[in-house]
Amino acid sequence: MSRRCALLAWALLALLGLGAAQDCGPIVSRREWRALASKCSRRLRQPVRYVVVSHTAGSVCDTPASCLRQAQNVQHYHVRTLGWCDVGYNFLIGEDGLVYEGRGWNTIGAHSGPTWNPIAIGISFMGNYMDRAPPARALRAAQNLLACGAARGYLTPNYEVKGHRDVQQTLSPGDQLYDIIQRWPHYRSVPQPHTPAPPQHLPAL
Amino acid sequence: MRKARLWGLLWMLFVPEIQAAAKLFEEKCTLAEGQTLNVSCPTNTNIYSNSQKAWQRLKDNGEVQTLAITEGSSQVQKGKYFLEDMPSEGMLQVRMTNLQVEDSGLYRCVILGPSDPIILFYPVRLVVTKNSLGTPDSDEYPCQISVQNPTLPPVTTKLHPRPRPRPRPRPRPVTQLVPTSADRLSSPGLTVTPTNVTHVTRAPGISIVIPAACGLLSKTLVFIGLFAVTQRSFAS
Repeated sequence: MSRRCALLAWALLALLGLGAAQDCGPIVSRREWRALASKCSRRLRQPVRYVVVSHTAGSVCDTPASCLRQAQNVQHYHVRTLGWCDVGYNFLIGEDGLVYEGRGWNTIGAHSGPTWNPIAIGISFMGNYMDRAPPARALRAAQNLLACGAARGYLTPNYEVKGHRDVQQTLSPGDQLYDIIQRWPHYRSVPQPHTPAPPQHLPAL
Repeated sequence: MRKARLWGLLWMLFVPEIQAAAKLFEEKCTLAEGQTLNVSCPTNTNIYSNSQKAWQRLKDNGEVQTLAITEGSSQVQKGKYFLEDMPSEGMLQVRMTNLQVEDSGLYRCVILGPSDPIILFYPVRLVVTKNSLGTPDSDEYPCQISVQNPTLPPVTTKLHPRPRPRPRPRPRPVTQLVPTSADRLSSPGLTVTPTNVTHVTRAPGISIVIPAACGLLSKTLVFIGLFAVTQRSFAS
């Protein structure tokens, strides 16, 4: 009787240990979205301490089939038109709620200029988010991706999320999405300057 | 009697949660004499493009010494201190050349304004050694983030040993309060030393509450489970 209880106790402890493991969520691999082979070779130094969130400002997609095509379109534009070695982002997020593997965790991306590319993971939401927000499943997919990255050591435990407009002269990731990411727990930016209170009355003439 | 002892155990569940909440971060950089320190302090694009940025040293007596100020230009070189402000990139680049052992200490990047300066990035703990460290990795990446908890001493929680002799070994959960972020660092030569840290970076409240609550819940479940087991053992 007492032996069974001891086993029960250990089983309970083991279960709690398993429960603490991170849930990564599905990532659509390059092979799956039929990506062109990458010609990029510069590696990111691990663990990465910054994540830059942007939007593609292009067409939106909301099914796995249409997002697959859109990922191909983005890569096509970056590789064929802009002449880059691969799609610029490390990961793309679709409104289908799926993460699409771009350059991945290990390769330096082309998303935020020469100062930030070597020190940041660039994730981009496929669409334009000035006037509308991404659906909750897309935001969840992005946050799961980052949590997984931190758990696996690709990101530092205290990684910092920044909006694209925080690090480059751009409207990306769009007003709506920027408002959302500013409320993410890992978002960090320089505090806004304190605006002095307006005068209470007009000066007498 | 037993009940009092169990209640005495319960408070131990709370102590690690409170400690985990307030984390003090520093960027620890270890270099040899003659080498150059490079620090990148994010500033956000544009908002502060018109503001002065400075590199300051924090003395042990609490005094703040300003070593270089951008003064409206994007680059400034003052002796061994070089500052480059890039508002279009949202970054302030700091360089200290020809390091000497006397340069060891605590530094920070700030934006100067009408009221208190805005502290950027993390305080930089610079350690300059006489000789080279030897490993190529430390030469290329001399800086690592380090987490310190200088205010509270590390506490390990474990169950009280029972007065009655037990025939089988009891599970004894030990909670270590060494920050897990230290495990993730790539440099093998990192040492975390408790020091007087003047800057506290607190994550937004929600990011502390949720992990603390989850940790507390899991520990409570473990406690209840083990309690039930021991109750049954006593009854049998």
